[in-house]
Amino acid sequence: MSKDRILLRCLLLSTSSRNIYRHCKDKKKRGKIVGAMIGQTILYLMLMAYCVLNCIGYGHFGLAGSIPVMCATVIAALSFIFTFFKTNGYLFNFKEYDMIMSLPFTSKSIVACKFIYMYIKSLPWYLSVSVSMLAGYAYYVRPPLAVYPVWILLTFVLPVIPMIAASFLGFIIARIGSGFRNKTIIQTVLTMIFIIFVMFSRFFIEDMLRNDKTEDVLSSMSAATDSAGKVFLPIDWFRGAVADLRISDMLLLIGVSLILFEVVFMLVGRSYRKINSALRSHAARRSFVMSERKRRSVLNAIAFKEFKRMTGSTVYLTNGALGVIMCLVGGTVVLFLNLDKIIRPVLKDAPFTMEMLYPVIPLVIYFLIGMVATTAFTPSLEGKNYWIVQSLPISRKTLYQGKMLFNLYMTVPVTVFATAALCISARAGVVNTLLFIFTGILLCLFSTAWGCVCGIKHMRLDWENEVEVIKQGAAVTIYLLPNMFINMGLMVGVVALGTVVSPILISLGLMTAVAVLAALSYLRVLSLTRE
Amino acid sequence: MEKRPMLEIKGFSKSYGEGKKAADNVSLTVESGDIYGFIGHNGAGKSTTIRAIVGVLDFSEGEIFIDGHPVRKEPMECKKITAYIPDNPDLYENLTGIQYLDFIADVFGIGAKERQKSIEDLAARFEITEALGDLIGSYSHGMKQKLAIISALIHEPKLLVLDEPFVGLDPKAAFTLKQMMHEICEKGTAIFFSTHVLDVAEKLCNKVAIIKHGQIIASGTMDELTHGESLEDVFLEVVNE
Repeated sequence: MSKDRILLRCLLLSTSSRNIYRHCKDKKKRGKIVGAMIGQTILYLMLMAYCVLNCIGYGHFGLAGSIPVMCATVIAALSFIFTFFKTNGYLFNFKEYDMIMSLPFTSKSIVACKFIYMYIKSLPWYLSVSVSMLAGYAYYVRPPLAVYPVWILLTFVLPVIPMIAASFLGFIIARIGSGFRNKTIIQTVLTMIFIIFVMFSRFFIEDMLRNDKTEDVLSSMSAATDSAGKVFLPIDWFRGAVADLRISDMLLLIGVSLILFEVVFMLVGRSYRKINSALRSHAARRSFVMSERKRRSVLNAIAFKEFKRMTGSTVYLTNGALGVIMCLVGGTVVLFLNLDKIIRPVLKDAPFTMEMLYPVIPLVIYFLIGMVATTAFTPSLEGKNYWIVQSLPISRKTLYQGKMLFNLYMTVPVTVFATAALCISARAGVVNTLLFIFTGILLCLFSTAWGCVCGIKHMRLDWENEVEVIKQGAAVTIYLLPNMFINMGLMVGVVALGTVVSPILISLGLMTAVAVLAALSYLRVLSLTRE
Repeated sequence: MEKRPMLEIKGFSKSYGEGKKAADNVSLTVESGDIYGFIGHNGAGKSTTIRAIVGVLDFSEGEIFIDGHPVRKEPMECKKITAYIPDNPDLYENLTGIQYLDFIADVFGIGAKERQKSIEDLAARFEITEALGDLIGSYSHGMKQKLAIISALIHEPKLLVLDEPFVGLDPKAAFTLKQMMHEICEKGTAIFFSTHVLDVAEKLCNKVAIIKHGQIIASGTMDELTHGESLEDVFLEVVNE
């Protein structure tokens, strides 16, 4: 067996749930593994159902021919996003770096194996999309038999280029960040700039599509899907290979993927040790002069500890503070823009008045702010340092109250600012503004407490890489998905209800419901801390 | 033919960012069969030097040679003959002990029979045979340390680099390790290790270097350095100068 395969096998085995299940003697832990596997299967099934429904929609409107492009677009987008957020922590700055680097592997081998490991781990997501969309395509188009193996084969190749692009971007960010003293902050700022750039690009592309002046909704949908192939060539190659069975497109996709893999990892491998050395080391000035110290309350001391933990990790910052930063940016932007001009094109000629939309304001803010509650992963994030807080004379209740306080310190001021900004821009009036600010604060309380419930219930301390609990943890998934979907449903429901009930009544009802939920969640936290 | 030193450090320096130098013009030589102790206070630059030797840390000033191979230009040649045990071994917690040892044996291309014999022997000496089927995550610090030592010894390295190897080991395991260090040195392996335990260094090492604020302030054979005094006295004397 080649050394690269040995390393890859070890990386996979070391995170294999099956391996842990086989050798773990703790029944509770084994149960959790089974639960996590069931949860993951449900998520795959949900994704497959979403893809099938999309295919039905496309088939219903006679656009089944666009399914391959849609499939390729979804896989490319998923693989890019999955990889981009994992680069720091998986490719760079990972825990077992010293151990692996001291073994006889080349830097290129290590980084390539880490990449292939990420690829294999995320493959079930891409296959879920691909297989369900192939089923939809087969049902509506009845393609020749040869399409099936080509489609499946290329599903394995399709994520490679977006993943390499994301890795390379992560590499550039790590390379630049490693040259600075405050590496984490620089890396986070660069990552945030990129995310905001992508979001604005999305609006720009949508605007371009709108300017096509395509009146027909059907052809507009088709154009939107097909234009993805023009923006990102591998999508077009995939479409050519599966829809027209063009060998040249198939070879192009495979060939370019392989060449990029070789070239990019050769380049990354060259400065791999340099980047990691810089990322994993800390400059020491040894010029500390004792100044007057400040005393904090226990809760504030825990909150401050959480703050330092956040600013010390790019993964934490980009995930935990993303919604807050987006809200801050959004709140500032709406102060200088006419909200009506933004909303009208979205609503087109829908029979809504601005007043009917007012109750949505706190929910829109919450969509960003509540995207992630730090309390959903900070209990797990203690990891091997858990002994520190365990051995201190603080109760579990105080510990989690401190963690909740930190999340509130971060979310409440931004929520108040963004809500006020949105209300000013929407000319919502003083009473509405105060009502929405209060609702926003209650939503923050709910998100913090509910996140803490998930965080305590699904606490996992034996992680190898913090990405495992911040991005992929059961606690975060259980917090995030229902929260996001219910919030989206509420937005639609509140607007629909606004056509028959007074918006102010809806706002009051919403506020009461959130207050009850926040109180119940907090009580649940308290009961969990007693267990 | 001239005998090459097993480890040769020439003018190695390393600074982090714009901070002070963690290692400043470090030079020393370790011959085959040497047990070389590297001592210094916390933050003196021991781990920085050790991480550079084993190819983990990038550096731009000076050069490090292992059996004549420059670490920066021929890292693979160096790593093939070196074993490293960090002060706090971060092993794959979700592998079992035996799976981890198999991984290391695979990397170094050790045959099935050889590895079985060597693992059996080393695990028995460190008394962790029964735990080899358990997940590393369930091990205590000392057991992880023992596993890291076994993984370092199964491929019979020419140079063994250890960072604070006795931390976390129970007295019996510490004794076994010292015994094994003597044994492998007799076979020609060079050992370079950092420690705070001066008694151990005094009894174990034939050569010693003392590092302070990144600079080697004293080095040589134990006799040259101590002149009959205790190593502790010499150490305190030179670091307080």
